[in-house]
Amino acid sequence: MSATFASPALKEFEELDWPVRTEENWRFGSWKEANLSGLETVGAGTIGELPEPLEGFTRLVFANRELVSGSSESAELVEGSFGPTSRLGSPKLAALHTAKSKHTLHVRSATDLSLELIYFVSGEGLFLPGVVIEAEAGANIRLVKRFISVDDSAAVVLTATDVRAAENAKVTCLVTQELNHRSKLIRFADSTLQASSHTKLAVVHTGAKWVREETYSTVDGSDAKSEILSVALPDTGQEYDQRTFQHHGARNTYSDLLFKNTLFGKATTIFSGLIFVDEGAHGTDAYQTCRNLMMTDECEAHSMPGLEINADDVKCSHGSTSSRVSDEEIFYLMARGITAKDARSLVAQGFSIEAIERLEDGQLETLAIEVVARKFATVE
Amino acid sequence: MNSETATVKQVALEKDDVGNFSFPESHKFDAGYGLTKDTIDYISKVKDEPAWVNEFRHRALKTFESKPMPTNWATKDLENIDFDKIRYYLSDGAQPKRSWDDVPPEVLETFDRLGVPEQERAFLAGVEAQYDSEAAYSNVKEALADEGVIFVTCSEGLKEHEEIFRPWFGKVIPTGDNKFSALNSAVMSGGSFIYIPPGVKVKHPLQAYFRINSENFGQFERTLIIADEGSEVMYMEGCTAPKFETATLHSAVVELVAMKGAKIQYITVQNWSSNVFNLVTKRGLAHEDAEIRWIDCNIGSRLTMKYPGVVMKGERARGEVISIALANDGQHQDTGAKMIHAANNTTSNVISKSISVGEGRSTYRGQVHIPKHLKGCKNNTECDALLINTNSRTDTYPAISVKGNQHVTQHEASVSQVSEEMLFYMQQRGLSETQAMSLAVNGFINDLVEEFPMEYSVELKRLIDLEMEGSVG
Repeated sequence: MSATFASPALKEFEELDWPVRTEENWRFGSWKEANLSGLETVGAGTIGELPEPLEGFTRLVFANRELVSGSSESAELVEGSFGPTSRLGSPKLAALHTAKSKHTLHVRSATDLSLELIYFVSGEGLFLPGVVIEAEAGANIRLVKRFISVDDSAAVVLTATDVRAAENAKVTCLVTQELNHRSKLIRFADSTLQASSHTKLAVVHTGAKWVREETYSTVDGSDAKSEILSVALPDTGQEYDQRTFQHHGARNTYSDLLFKNTLFGKATTIFSGLIFVDEGAHGTDAYQTCRNLMMTDECEAHSMPGLEINADDVKCSHGSTSSRVSDEEIFYLMARGITAKDARSLVAQGFSIEAIERLEDGQLETLAIEVVARKFATVE
Repeated sequence: MNSETATVKQVALEKDDVGNFSFPESHKFDAGYGLTKDTIDYISKVKDEPAWVNEFRHRALKTFESKPMPTNWATKDLENIDFDKIRYYLSDGAQPKRSWDDVPPEVLETFDRLGVPEQERAFLAGVEAQYDSEAAYSNVKEALADEGVIFVTCSEGLKEHEEIFRPWFGKVIPTGDNKFSALNSAVMSGGSFIYIPPGVKVKHPLQAYFRINSENFGQFERTLIIADEGSEVMYMEGCTAPKFETATLHSAVVELVAMKGAKIQYITVQNWSSNVFNLVTKRGLAHEDAEIRWIDCNIGSRLTMKYPGVVMKGERARGEVISIALANDGQHQDTGAKMIHAANNTTSNVISKSISVGEGRSTYRGQVHIPKHLKGCKNNTECDALLINTNSRTDTYPAISVKGNQHVTQHEASVSQVSEEMLFYMQQRGLSETQAMSLAVNGFINDLVEEFPMEYSVELKRLIDLEMEGSVG
């Protein structure tokens, strides 16, 4: 299968251009980072230190592209990429994934499923994991996916996920990105929602030197509900570039996006989001919020929240703010014996937790908070 | 106004189109169709311009030719502009008149119908009225002239007040800012030059009126307003054109300079006919403690692309854009604001309200920029869109860049429609559906309309009532 699929993709990949500065989807972005020409795929990987298991979850562990432990009846390794598409500026990178990814993890369930995927990344080169999650009618899938660097090599993780939620299905997903500060992550996160389905897709970014993330949610069935959450904590030398698209294609659909960025050192974040309401998609409720908490005088946040509304009888709004921890909050905590530094850290962690709480899943929330706390322990 | 013109005005109003009438063309000077180096030399010669202006125009033409259309982010409708089918300069060669009695009858009648002479008598401190390429009338009240206020056409400004004009000309909006500012710099004609001396507070507004009367004609006025230390001025402009069979282009450049502590308010009521491409670059430079406010209302045109900006160069400078846009069938109002913070403790505020009727499309596009090493900058942006019909369309594309943790920015946008309950409630009390809708729309923009001078807010409400006719039911 991979041969027939991959070769037209390889041709497409070769014909397409790397992103350039003038593309609107790369505004403010480091388009040069996306040029992966000459990069070879990574070889066999090593296993790192395994985190505490999550109770009730089936765990699959990967060392680079090799599945090294665990198995699940609901998860099958299929040869080749599932063929992600990029609608937010990186078709060449999507074609690269299609052409060169060795296999896709196909997760399918019609009932309850709790699955934990650990990806240990090691060695220099390109690593191209892909996951398809098919939540059949009435399913309830909980998924944790973690990217963890084992060594200090400069890896490039080009990953794609496609969540397909059938009628009345529910998918709750937490992705944690804990790569070393020399690595890059490029991530395509697509989701399609049928009638009355509900997805909560959350991501926590603490690592990597550069992240490009394209999240595209298609809300195609009435009464479907798509929630997109992100917590990002970049420090000096880290740049997170996140582009999102909430596409409403049916009546009475709902989507809500909340991105919380806390910027340390000389970090940079770019957020570009669009709520798109098709003609005829009346009764849409769509929200989009990006908040930047600026911890230093040298960090930099770019926000481009957008709306394109082609139907009336809709409720849509977006908001974006950038500010620092208020002096009043610091004063309040200091008056109770907490040092200024601890006070700032407490307020900032609370700021991130607001997004994490939306998961409404105790185990996933605990894990996300741990990852956030670990990052806070490393910053000044 | 005599009774005959009053009736004509009435008829035009009833046809819900005040500006839709025209007079036969008679031009002494016509640069012909298309734009070449010869067109520029022709304009320079007719206007008897100094060499530096001619050179400036030639450089701008090169820039215009080398720049691509901004269709990578803007609407593809721009590709429908055929630059070779536009006439770039038309005039009868007369100098602007200082009295309405000297203005040629058909031109006077034009402005009479639009109510300009009446308004001048009533409350304006000065008026300039532009007919195609050149000002037909320009006057500033004597008392102001005695205080040193200069209010002349741009051509007079660059010739007779070069020492004040030239240091700021093209400095706020450089030729290469965008393709259309380059086009304007190449073929500019008409527009105002205003200078307010230190400490002079002009109590009554100054006004300019722009009129396109000829088919396939492009109007490229250029305005420069300089408010010296501690002075204050309010400037208002209005524009109309008859409906021609072919598209018409209006591409202006407006530069404002507010020196230390000065205040400039610039008010626009744009009511071009619905086949005018209105592509305008407007920007102000605010020095220490200065304040620049753009109050912008876009009701007419086929496509408007206009993003008034303020560069806050001095500490505590303040920039504001208040904008109302109404897009009806076949119209695209692509408006917004640019706020560039370039000094500590500068504040900016953007409030934009748009209404999309029928298949109209309104877009907000904004940019807020706070660079490194600044302290205490604040921006507030609010965009609200109202959708009237099923096929109405609205977009919002802001971009906010903040560096450092000493600032506060917030952006909010919302989209809504007039609720059935609200309409039902008003209809229960005896209003027709159209009246109810009009009232709801006027309510939506009411807090912004109050920012306009009284005469304009009354006019605005009437224009909106007219636009809302037939939009429901």
